Amino acid sequence: MTGTGIIAIAAAIAAFTGIGAGIGIGLATGKAVEGIARQPEAAGSIRTSLLLGAALAEATAIYGLVVALVLVFLKM
Amino acid sequence: MGEKLTHAMESHTAFIINLFGFKIPVSDLVVTMWIIMAIMIVLAIFLTRKLSLIPNKRQNIAEIIVEFINNMVKDAIPHHWKAFAPYLGTVMLFLVLANTVSIFNIIPGGEEGFKLRPPTRNINVTICLAVMSICVVIYAGIRYKGVGGWIKSFVKPTPVMLPFNILDYLIKPTSLALRLFGNILGAFIVMELIYMALPIFAPALLSCYFDLFDGILQAYVFMFLTSIYISEALE
Repeated sequence: MTGTGIIAIAAAIAAFTGIGAGIGIGLATGKAVEGIARQPEAAGSIRTSLLLGAALAEATAIYGLVVALVLVFLKM
Repeated sequence: MGEKLTHAMESHTAFIINLFGFKIPVSDLVVTMWIIMAIMIVLAIFLTRKLSLIPNKRQNIAEIIVEFINNMVKDAIPHHWKAFAPYLGTVMLFLVLANTVSIFNIIPGGEEGFKLRPPTRNINVTICLAVMSICVVIYAGIRYKGVGGWIKSFVKPTPVMLPFNILDYLIKPTSLALRLFGNILGAFIVMELIYMALPIFAPALLSCYFDLFDGILQAYVFMFLTSIYISEALE
């Protein structure tokens, strides 16, 4: 196997960080919907904290993206 | 296709300033940021001219923006919000314009020449913004707790936490910079790929999400996290 192929596989493995972010944001959104269904008047503050939580959970996926991009564009 | 993408991602020298024999290359990122700064300064002067007690149309717009920022900072930093609202608001307005600047391209197409692209797709710009944020956090700690109180905050709640508290000051700017950089670069690459694959109709719809929503959300998150770090430093 050539070096380029191994780097491509490494970048693909780095993209697996998306799994964690997906599960995290899914759980957070589910709980937020439950909260809004139970207490519709608190929808505003729930939305704010949901956006913040989703952005924080998304960060792990972004780190994976950055690692994959570094591997692809700097090493290939 | 890969070469086109790499060309769009990298920053290029727009022109060279010749100053006393020194050649200073100016990249297109800096030119884009100059344009954004000029727009912000002109808008600020235009919207706040002839302020009066009974606001006119222009003053109303300025008041909406300022009140929106003040309320957000007030939620995060209840007591000392007045000292930090101007900085946080400036950073947020700059980031909103910087992240969404690629929708203002009037001249379409063409790889050659100057195009408006988000300057935050370069990691140096986001690292600079994150270092500025952490400097404000340190300033807030020293200003409102004194030098002694700020140093003491490193061994709270117990001295065992000392290495973690020091690491905090490294991790916070790293995560701020990488989050902004990764989000904007990711959205930028996706948009470039869409422009290559489906040049009509599709970009108009998807640009709403990838450029507008993502850019404004990341600007908001950057500002929100900075204000939370400041309020932590004030405790």
